[in-house]
Amino acid sequence: MDPTTSMYVAQGIHGIAYGMVLFLIASGLTIIFGMMGILNLAHAAIFMLSGYICFQIIAMTGSFWVGLVLAPILTGIFGVIVEKVFIRGITASGHLGQLILTLGLSMVILGLVKVFWGTQSLPMQVPEILQGMVNLGGLEYPIYRLFIIGMSLTVLVLMVLLLFKTRLGKIVRAAVSDRDMVNALGINIPLVFMLVFGVGCWLAGIAGVAVAPILTVFPGLADQVGMDAFIVVCTGGFGSLAGAFVVSIIFGLLSSYGVQFLSQLAPVLMVIFMAVVLAIRPNGLFGVKE
Amino acid sequence: MMKKIIKPILWLALLIILIFFPKLFGVYYTNVFVTFAIFAVYAVAVNVLLGYTGLLSFGHAMFFGAGGYGTALALKHIDGIALMPAIGIGFIAAILLALVLAPLVTRVSGTAFAMIHLAFGQLFYVLALKLRNITGGEDGIGNFPIPAFTIPGLISIPLKGDPVNFYYLCIVIMGLSLWLMWFFTKTPFGQIQVGIRDNEKRIDYLGYKIPQTKAIIYVVSGAFSGLAGCLYGLFHNLVSADGSLGAMISFSPIIASMVGGVGSFFGPIWGTAVFQVIEELTHRFTDRVELVMGVILILVVMFAPSGIAGVVNTMKMKWHTYTASKAKMEKTS
Repeated sequence: MDPTTSMYVAQGIHGIAYGMVLFLIASGLTIIFGMMGILNLAHAAIFMLSGYICFQIIAMTGSFWVGLVLAPILTGIFGVIVEKVFIRGITASGHLGQLILTLGLSMVILGLVKVFWGTQSLPMQVPEILQGMVNLGGLEYPIYRLFIIGMSLTVLVLMVLLLFKTRLGKIVRAAVSDRDMVNALGINIPLVFMLVFGVGCWLAGIAGVAVAPILTVFPGLADQVGMDAFIVVCTGGFGSLAGAFVVSIIFGLLSSYGVQFLSQLAPVLMVIFMAVVLAIRPNGLFGVKE
Repeated sequence: MMKKIIKPILWLALLIILIFFPKLFGVYYTNVFVTFAIFAVYAVAVNVLLGYTGLLSFGHAMFFGAGGYGTALALKHIDGIALMPAIGIGFIAAILLALVLAPLVTRVSGTAFAMIHLAFGQLFYVLALKLRNITGGEDGIGNFPIPAFTIPGLISIPLKGDPVNFYYLCIVIMGLSLWLMWFFTKTPFGQIQVGIRDNEKRIDYLGYKIPQTKAIIYVVSGAFSGLAGCLYGLFHNLVSADGSLGAMISFSPIIASMVGGVGSFFGPIWGTAVFQVIEELTHRFTDRVELVMGVILILVVMFAPSGIAGVVNTMKMKWHTYTASKAKMEKTS
């Protein structure tokens, strides 16, 4: 492969890997929004928290794999507690109250993280198998990013199966379209909410662990990646999983090629893309008119 | 009858306190008060949008920053510019920004509106950091000349390095802004805003143009935020990305409005005062202001969703029912 093509391919895979991570965060956000009507501004902070938990687990056990499995689960449990204690009480107070509450939550999480782990970047080591390069038809490519793509795809397939092939998935999809009716049919909607919130946080947790070895763990992680995830949900249409997927991949590619060609102004590209989409379709790419 | 006498006396007392404030409390608290005044006007400007029209913006720092950068750039690059035109340039910069964004953002509402502003706010923050040759990057624009406040042929008051004079300038401008916004919300047009918040469809059926109406209030809110930002820049003699465009600058007026009471005109001012006191106190003990603010936000949303103004109103209602029932008792007995 000549250098130019290999650059394009490498940046393309980079973009897809980043897009997959974005999708892991955005999918949780968008499902929660679709079902409960809550845009969880603390989602980005929870995503970052998972990275810290994983760092702590690795520091204690020394195994990346334990952290990879355990940290997202702990994050999910944390999400369930947050839903039970804070969010359940204020679902009735309109979107303003919810946004402000979750904003407060994210500030508290960020503050606590700084208390416990400080503000410096914490590096994280991946195990031997995931280090190094792999040869893709003449292109040397880091294994770890391929691993991220593979893992995200696995989770994605699991989610789709769960959502479209099981009874629980059916209930969730029904609740997205009309939760009062589902509640009236005798299904315990608050319990389903709690579960969905937990799963959403679990997804963000996986993303948090996945990016931690590349970007290291630091308090600015929430702003840096989380902001992109919010833009994805907004552009893809609130509550639309397909929209979140398509826009995530587009954003991943935009950001990786943007870094290549425009370097510093890459973040601007996404906002411009969002502005164009919202100017044409105010409800987002896949959004339905309320 | 009593009210008619008490009100002017209270206003007069407030005026006297404001005039003698620097003499009474010294330079340090004068500076604290200037910060308070600037953020109070900023919070009221945000609340005009949030409380009266129901549009929550997570990126108002961009107007605050536009005002600040506009004024700072004008003072730095235009030789011999007077103070008022420089402030005017900041003001107009914020208005222009609001006018450019208005066609896009007035089409959406609710959560999407908030998120678009979050994104644009972040965009301007990143731009300010990256466009180093214009904005100075992380260092910002500092130590620009601040001309004296002059009325040609009459007076010339030096401002640079003179906090007391700056205090008076700030109080006058901020007072005027508050009065204008107060007046604005009392006009029939301002009342339509409340209607849009409460029932957008009905206002639409009454024949009002919703996006255009929203756009006007959006520009008003942005303009006064910009004015607050430009005084903030002058006050510190520094405009920087973190100080004028950062996420906390966007969130603090929302927090102040929330604590003071969304939808009440004076609520955000109380909120800013509380905010300022808490910040002063927490800075003395710890540097975890963010954590404290987050906890306060959560507590307010969960236990007092309508803020201080709401609590005061409920107290008033209780007092009235109490006195009414007491009067009734006395009549019957």
